[in-house]
Amino acid sequence: MITYIATFYSHYGAIQFRRNCQAMNLRAEVMPVPRDLSSSCGTCVRFHTEADFPEKTEEVEQIVRVEPQGYVGIYHADEE
Amino acid sequence: MKNEKGTIVLAGGVIGLIAAILVFFGNPANMGFCIACFLRDTTGALGLHSAAAVQYIRPEIIGLVLGACIISLAKKEFRPRGGSAPVTRFTLGAFVMIGCLMFLGCPFRMILRLAGGDGNALFGLVGFVAGILTGTVFLKKGYTLKRSYKMPKLEGGIYPAFQIVMLLLLVVAPAFIHFTEPEGGPGAKHAAIIIALVAGIIVGILAQRTRLCMVGGIRDAVLFKEYKLLFGFVAILVTALVMNLILGAVTGTSYFNPGFAGQPIAHTDGLWNALGMYLAGFGCILLGGCPLRQLILAGEGNTDSAVTVLGLMAGAAFAHNFGLASSGEGPTANGKIAVIIGIVVVAVIAAVNSMRKEEA
Repeated sequence: MITYIATFYSHYGAIQFRRNCQAMNLRAEVMPVPRDLSSSCGTCVRFHTEADFPEKTEEVEQIVRVEPQGYVGIYHADEE
Repeated sequence: MKNEKGTIVLAGGVIGLIAAILVFFGNPANMGFCIACFLRDTTGALGLHSAAAVQYIRPEIIGLVLGACIISLAKKEFRPRGGSAPVTRFTLGAFVMIGCLMFLGCPFRMILRLAGGDGNALFGLVGFVAGILTGTVFLKKGYTLKRSYKMPKLEGGIYPAFQIVMLLLLVVAPAFIHFTEPEGGPGAKHAAIIIALVAGIIVGILAQRTRLCMVGGIRDAVLFKEYKLLFGFVAILVTALVMNLILGAVTGTSYFNPGFAGQPIAHTDGLWNALGMYLAGFGCILLGGCPLRQLILAGEGNTDSAVTVLGLMAGAAFAHNFGLASSGEGPTANGKIAVIIGIVVVAVIAAVNSMRKEEA
């Protein structure tokens, strides 16, 4: 099981993404964005999956994989 | 940041210390920092309102923005963005200020008033928490002002650059701006420019690193049972209180006067203290942060927050031009009407922007 954290441009984006995770039967929780990940103070979703996760919405800012040594970026909207 | 909670508590402690010391160096009592009051004073210094008692370009504001800007540039966190409902944010900012000036302080000064023994701030705190709780109901219902977008560096840099202009006006061209006459009111009470500026820069850096936010603290506690940010403000309260007691013992002038009547730059109308901060708390949660946090984000290049700060300043101008701001004597009739209108407007903004949840 791999753990990811997704950050969003709005609180609403996080709520929406969690709902999409739950629709795929993925364990997902909303929480404050870790400081190491962003200087913004919004809400993120930590979710756990073997492989697939929900489609990125327009609200997704970045997605990272949580590794023991830190975060590994796998998507960042501004860099697309 | 290995121990985020420890860092936040430490930062809060330093900020509380600085706030108490600023009063020792000349700021008004229980007003080492007050983002609402200081933006109001700056607005007056620029002649946007003509309340002679509260006109002074506060270097603390300049320092907060520049401190956040410098540290975010150094840490590669200066990220210009914007475009998330700017007019709505401007409007919310204006009403948050009207709420703050009903109470006579922003959430930051509310804590400092408590640290000075001002019991009236307890009513403010109750209203503030109630406002935040109201706002979180809408957050849970899907409230959003839609996302922000990446902006050019220049766009994000304009507001911090504006602070340098303000500093130049204060230091080099004071003839262009308004000053409260000596003994003429709170605007005349201030620490030396360099002290206030450095204090602002330090607090700006600490607040950027820790994301300290009074609204965020209570919001995270309610929504996520996450108390880190809240501990920061508890730390401010505790150190400012202890520092007030020490300053009182050392100087022989009391910095801690527990009670309700006769508190500095405060009134005793509990209901309107509470309703003012209810409006501020409700508005701030829809904005995503307290006035301090908006300044810090503006320093990081967030133009939505810069627009919010301009809204706060416009609110201050309205408050003093139309007699909405309270005084030591109490709230005004106009102020009460404006706060009620503000609560209705903020509620409408919250409701209308929560209706899109079905589209998800």
